[in-house]
Amino acid sequence: MNRRNQTLLWAAVFALLLFYPKLFGAYYTNLFVTFAVFAAYSVSLNMLLGYTGLLSFGHAMFFGAGGYGTALALKHIPGLPLIPAILIGFFAAMILALVFSPLMVRVTGTAFAMLHLAFGQLMYVLALKLRTLTGGEDGIGRFPIPPLNVPGIGSISMKNPENFFYFGIIILGLSIWLMWFFTKTPLGQVQIGLRDNAKRIDYLGYKVPQTKAVVYVVCGAFAGVAGSIYGLFQNLVSCDGVLGILVSFAPITNTVVGGIGSFFGPIWGTAIFQVIEEITVRYTERVELVQGLILVLVMMFAPTGFVGFINSVRQRRAARSVASASETQLEKG
Amino acid sequence: MYITQGIHGLAYGMVLFLVASGLNIIFGMMGILNLAHASFFMLSAYFSYQVLTTTGNFWVALIVAPVVTAFFGIILERFFIRKVHASGHIGELILTVGISLIILAAVKIFWGTESLPVKVPPLLDGLAYFWGMDYPIYRLFVIGMAVLVLAIMLVLLYKSRLGKIVRAAVADADMVNALGVNVPVVFMFIFGIGTWLAGVAAVVIAPILTVFPGLADQVGMDAFVVVVTGGFGSLLGAFIVSIIFGLLNSYGVQFLSQLAPVLMYAFMAVVLTIRPMGLFGERE
Repeated sequence: MNRRNQTLLWAAVFALLLFYPKLFGAYYTNLFVTFAVFAAYSVSLNMLLGYTGLLSFGHAMFFGAGGYGTALALKHIPGLPLIPAILIGFFAAMILALVFSPLMVRVTGTAFAMLHLAFGQLMYVLALKLRTLTGGEDGIGRFPIPPLNVPGIGSISMKNPENFFYFGIIILGLSIWLMWFFTKTPLGQVQIGLRDNAKRIDYLGYKVPQTKAVVYVVCGAFAGVAGSIYGLFQNLVSCDGVLGILVSFAPITNTVVGGIGSFFGPIWGTAIFQVIEEITVRYTERVELVQGLILVLVMMFAPTGFVGFINSVRQRRAARSVASASETQLEKG
Repeated sequence: MYITQGIHGLAYGMVLFLVASGLNIIFGMMGILNLAHASFFMLSAYFSYQVLTTTGNFWVALIVAPVVTAFFGIILERFFIRKVHASGHIGELILTVGISLIILAAVKIFWGTESLPVKVPPLLDGLAYFWGMDYPIYRLFVIGMAVLVLAIMLVLLYKSRLGKIVRAAVADADMVNALGVNVPVVFMFIFGIGTWLAGVAAVVIAPILTVFPGLADQVGMDAFVVVVTGGFGSLLGAFIVSIIFGLLNSYGVQFLSQLAPVLMYAFMAVVLTIRPMGLFGERE
C-alpha cells in the first residue's frame, strides 16, 4: 500500500468513527467501546507475547489494577476529576508492574507464565476475600463518574453513552498509538531482539533485565488504562469481570486468532471474536461451542492467525502474478 | 475433630494428586500444556454417572469410564495436539482451551446443567471405627486408591522397560526414535495413561462432589497449581504438594475461613519466586 492510499484509509476510519454513534445507535456504540477496551488490552499483551516472546497467564492483574484503582479512587475521593482518576488507574498498574518487574525479568518461558498465573490468581482471591476493601464478589459499583472538564468548552457529561464513546475511543486510541510508537523506537526494536536472541542483545551492550523491565512496565501500565476505561464504562469492577483467569486468557486468544507478532493482529482478533459472538448469541445459546470450534480450527488450519493468513494469501497471489507475467514474457519472446 | 478434618483434607489432597499425576505426566514430563485435562476429568465423571445409572455398579464404572476417557484423550493427542506441538506452548494453550470449551458445551447438551448426584457404593458406605474415632470409609478408600496409583506409576515409570523408554523419549525424542522405538506411539500411549488417571480421579470423586459442569474449573485449577508448585515431571513433588494443599484447605477453612484459598496461591507464589522450577522440579 502506498502512502497516499494509507492516508485515505486512515481518513476513512476517522470519518467512520466520528459518525459511528449516529449511524449505528446506542447498542452498537456500547459494543464498540467494549471492543476498543479489549483491543487496547490485547495490544498491550501482544507487546509482551508477540514482540518480546513472553507468555503471561496473569495479564488480568494489570487490567484489574487499573479498574480497581480508578473505581476505588472515585469512590473514596469526593470531587476527583476524570483524567486524574484514569491516571490513578494507569499508575496503579504501572506501580504493580514495577514491583513485580525485578522478579519477572529473570525468568522466561514456562516459569514466566506460571509465576504470572500464581500472582494473578493470588490477586483474584485477595480481591474476592478482602470484602471490606473490594466488595468481594459484588465488586465496586455505582461509583460517581465525573464529567470531563475542558477549559474553554465547559464540562461534558460522561453519563451520556455517546460522549463516553468519543472520550473512550480517544483515550484508548491514544494508548494504542503510543504503544505503536513505542515499538518503532530503538528500545522497541531491542525488544524484538530480546525475543529472538537475548544473549546477542546482551553482547551488544544492552542491559537485558532493565530493558525487559521497561517493556514490562509499559505493557502493564497500558493494560491498566484499558481496565480503567472498562471500569468507568461499566460503572462496575468485579473480580470475575476484571481479574479472573478468563480475563487473562481472552487477550491471548485474541492475539493468536488475530495474528501473533503483528501489531494490528490483536485488534483484528478482538473484532473477529466480538462479531462472531454477536452473531452466535442471536441463533444459539452454545456460544462456548462456537468459540471452542474457532480456536481449534484456527490452530489446525491457520496457526499464524488472521493477519498471517491474509499475508500468505497475498504472497501466493503475488507469486502467481509474477509467474503469469514471466509466462506471458516467455510467450512473447 | 482435628483428625476428621485432617482425613477430609487428605482425601481432597489425594483426589488432587490423582488429577495432578495425570497432568504431571502430560505437562510435566511430555511438556504438553494441556488445559483440557480437567475437562477430561469432568467428562469421565459424567461417563461414570451414565454407567452407574444404567448398570448400578460402581466397580464397572471405575473400569469403564476412565478407559473411555483415555480413548478420547488418545484421539486428541493423535489428531490435534501432535500437529501443533511444534509451535510451542501458545499453540497447545489455544487448542486445548478450545477443546475444553467444546467438551463443556457437549456435556451441557447431553446431560444438562444441573448437578447430578452419585451414590457411594454400599460396600464403602458408612463409618469405620478404630482407635476411638469414626472415619468415613469412602474417604479412606480415596486415600488408599491414590497411594495405589502412586505406587503403580512409580513402578511403571522407574522400574519397567516402558518407563525407561518414556523417560528417554522425553529427554531426547530424536535419539530414541533413531534407536528403533516408535516415539509418537509411545507419546500417544502416555497421553492416554495421563487422561486415564484423570478419569479414575473423576470416578472416585464423583460421590463426594456430585457431577456438574463447573467440576472442571473447580478441580482443574487446583491440579494445575499442584503440578507447577510440585515441580515439572516430579510425581513425588506432586504427591507432597497435594497433601499440603489438601491440609491447607481443610485446616484453613477451620481457622481462617476467609483466607483459605489465598493460602494455596500464596504458597505457590512463594515457592515459584524462590524456585521457578517448582519444589522438586529438575528443570524449568
